[in-house]
Amino acid sequence: MQQAEIHDFLNRFFSSSECELLPVADDHDQLKVKLTKAMDKLLMNRPFYWHYIEQIGAEPETAVLNFRFSDRIQEGEFIHSGSPRLHQILDASEKMGRYIRMYQVLANKLSPALEPWLCINMKISYQCDLKKDRICSMGLQLINGTMIEGFQSVLNTLHLSQKLPDYCYTLRPLITIKSGLARIEHFIESELQKENFEWADHAATRWDKDLQLLNAFYEHQEEKPERYVQEKQALKEQYQPQIKVTLINAGLFFLQSAAFLPDLIKDH
Amino acid sequence: MKPIIHFDRSWYESFFKHIEEDGPWAKSELFSLAYLAEQERTVPTFHGLIAPSRLPLLKPHPHQVETARIVIEEMHGKAILADEVGLGKTIEAGLIIKEYMIRGLVKKVLILVPASLVLQWVSELNSKFYIPAVPQRKTYVWSQCDVVVSSIDTAKREPHRDIVLDQDYDLIIIDEAHKLKNHKTKNYQFVQSLKKKFCLLLTATPIQNRLSEIFYLVSLLKPGYLGDAESFAKNYKSGSHAVRNEEKLKALVNQVMVRNRREDTGLRWPKRIVKAYDIPFSMAEKAFYDSLFELKERGLIQPFSLLTLQREACSSREAAFTTLNKIYKETACPMNERLWHPIFEKMNAIKQNAKAKKTLELIQQINDKVIIFTEYRATQLFLQWFLKKNGISSVPFNGGFKRSKKDWMRMLFQNKVQVLVATEAGGEGINLQFASHLINYDLPWNPMRIEQRIGRIHRLGQEKDVHIYNLATRGTVESHILNLLYNKIHLFEQVIGDLDRILTHIDLKDVDKQVAHIFEESESEGEIKVKLDNLSSVINFEQNHLSEGDSHAAGGNS
Repeated sequence: MQQAEIHDFLNRFFSSSECELLPVADDHDQLKVKLTKAMDKLLMNRPFYWHYIEQIGAEPETAVLNFRFSDRIQEGEFIHSGSPRLHQILDASEKMGRYIRMYQVLANKLSPALEPWLCINMKISYQCDLKKDRICSMGLQLINGTMIEGFQSVLNTLHLSQKLPDYCYTLRPLITIKSGLARIEHFIESELQKENFEWADHAATRWDKDLQLLNAFYEHQEEKPERYVQEKQALKEQYQPQIKVTLINAGLFFLQSAAFLPDLIKDH
Repeated sequence: MKPIIHFDRSWYESFFKHIEEDGPWAKSELFSLAYLAEQERTVPTFHGLIAPSRLPLLKPHPHQVETARIVIEEMHGKAILADEVGLGKTIEAGLIIKEYMIRGLVKKVLILVPASLVLQWVSELNSKFYIPAVPQRKTYVWSQCDVVVSSIDTAKREPHRDIVLDQDYDLIIIDEAHKLKNHKTKNYQFVQSLKKKFCLLLTATPIQNRLSEIFYLVSLLKPGYLGDAESFAKNYKSGSHAVRNEEKLKALVNQVMVRNRREDTGLRWPKRIVKAYDIPFSMAEKAFYDSLFELKERGLIQPFSLLTLQREACSSREAAFTTLNKIYKETACPMNERLWHPIFEKMNAIKQNAKAKKTLELIQQINDKVIIFTEYRATQLFLQWFLKKNGISSVPFNGGFKRSKKDWMRMLFQNKVQVLVATEAGGEGINLQFASHLINYDLPWNPMRIEQRIGRIHRLGQEKDVHIYNLATRGTVESHILNLLYNKIHLFEQVIGDLDRILTHIDLKDVDKQVAHIFEESESEGEIKVKLDNLSSVINFEQNHLSEGDSHAAGGNS
């Protein structure tokens, strides 16, 4: 993230968590925010203070965070893509934005029926002694089984609400969440199987090379010592090619069927 | 090879529960932000380093970034970092840890360093790299904390030992790894039994010294890489020191070792400006120094003890007194009283220390931070007293200090006082690059130790030219040494690292012992001179030889 993006991110994060943004002299390079009680507890790491305040029933004074995004400003905490504070906030947002249920608000009252979608955002990590990852956002329509990749970017264009809008109703899903999850997993797995595994082949070669050296090192010992087993295991941990799929967040979305352009749809 | 595909399903239950209980649901904005947050943390390629972009305040040097990249991509996370002193091995190690942590390849890290460096590592990792490293203080730290810094001596002792051996470490870093060259030591065996995925061994001393040392160090990293002990000896050893198939061995070792040299870094290094002072004894000091010969002539002390006494007398009468008093007590008998009496009398007659006077003069001239190195504790105390008397405050620094005290002294020196008086033991492992003046109040006989002293201030981060002042007393053992180091082998102008290359090449690691032998066994001044000249010409020959070799090999990358 560039500094401007971080600024934007923090702005959105603190606004949506109901913290009060305070006026600053330079709103391009500065951000000042008074935390709510909940956010103070989450970010400031001062359980004793809160314990004390709550015990005596006093009015708490929540913390004010003062960030700066450039060297031009003297005052405040310098925040950048590697600063622990930013990562603490990224953690917090992931924790606070895990499960969701939303309804589409219809601009033109075409049909009041909203279809149920299951959305899963995942991180797919390719790992051996090196690692890379990509994000995969899947949406599954729970009536006809339509699956869409890049679901999150579609969601970003829609007008959504936490409440079911008036005059709208939701259609009953035919596919259970459980089997929906299984369908998505199955789809991803079959996609992954089609990928090029050159990276894994290379890792396997490195693994094998080191393993042969290890074997030669203990060649003359009839009874292999425990260390040999341990080293062997360590090589496996170092090189074993694997793909890990982990959750970012998931949600249920009730959307109008015309919400998607045909070319986004993949039939399965 | 087909990779194993693993789906994390641990979240299913809680998702079902949310659906069942109809919430609590996240806000729409936070759902999007969580997605953005993870996007930010996604590393889209196997190659290249992310860490430098996450450390905008660090500004690492190109050779440090390149080293981190080579270790991760070409050496697969198992390497010996053998940069010359002062090129920033800690920075390289920090970059590597950081990169692995960002990519999620490493979580649990154990860093084993000399006890005196524990806090320095902790503070550098935290402040420069935002790596939450903690010093090991309580037993629970081993299992509870992800990045732990400790000394080997602590870690290998019960009750820690069993706990440490039980941990699955993703990365182990060992600083001053050359201390692990002997495979029979407890330290070596302990490190060998640690569970580790990646491993970095840091050392500034090149390990071409003994062939078996390099074998055992590499075997710690990659067992079998150089064969087993037997085949290694067969392939590369000839006799006790000589190497066979040297080129092949070098090529192999270079694949697991990164060694940046000063000259290759393309950095502008501050100059070394060296001044030597040949200081005459005062009459009283000279009389005392000369009287020491009598002890040897009367057979009360061995030549070796005389040498020790002489060196001490060159430093301060306080230093000599400690040893003298010990010998006096050991040999006490009425017959010897008559001999001892004048010696102590001469010692007491010394009213001023010529070198201390010169030191004071220098400090006043310099008018900036000064580090004084002495070999003796007694001299250290005397100098502090003497300087105080003349209105100059100083702090002491010894190797024996606890870590916290060392840090405290360093802080005091940096912020409050002008002078730091260190003994030899304090030379290793502290960074004092905020100072640029160093007085060698007395000279160690091992040139490498002088290098280590100078290395405290002549390192990355030093912005000014480095001034070195060498003091030696005229017409004593000391002036011979200064002559050898300064005029004959031009030690002080040497680039760090060249010297140890030369000394290891001619198997002259124990120069100090060689020099001591020369003094002990020589009958006359003339003989000492001839022998020292021989020694220096051997070293000089090797030096010319090596630099010629370098210019021939300049095209190739070894």
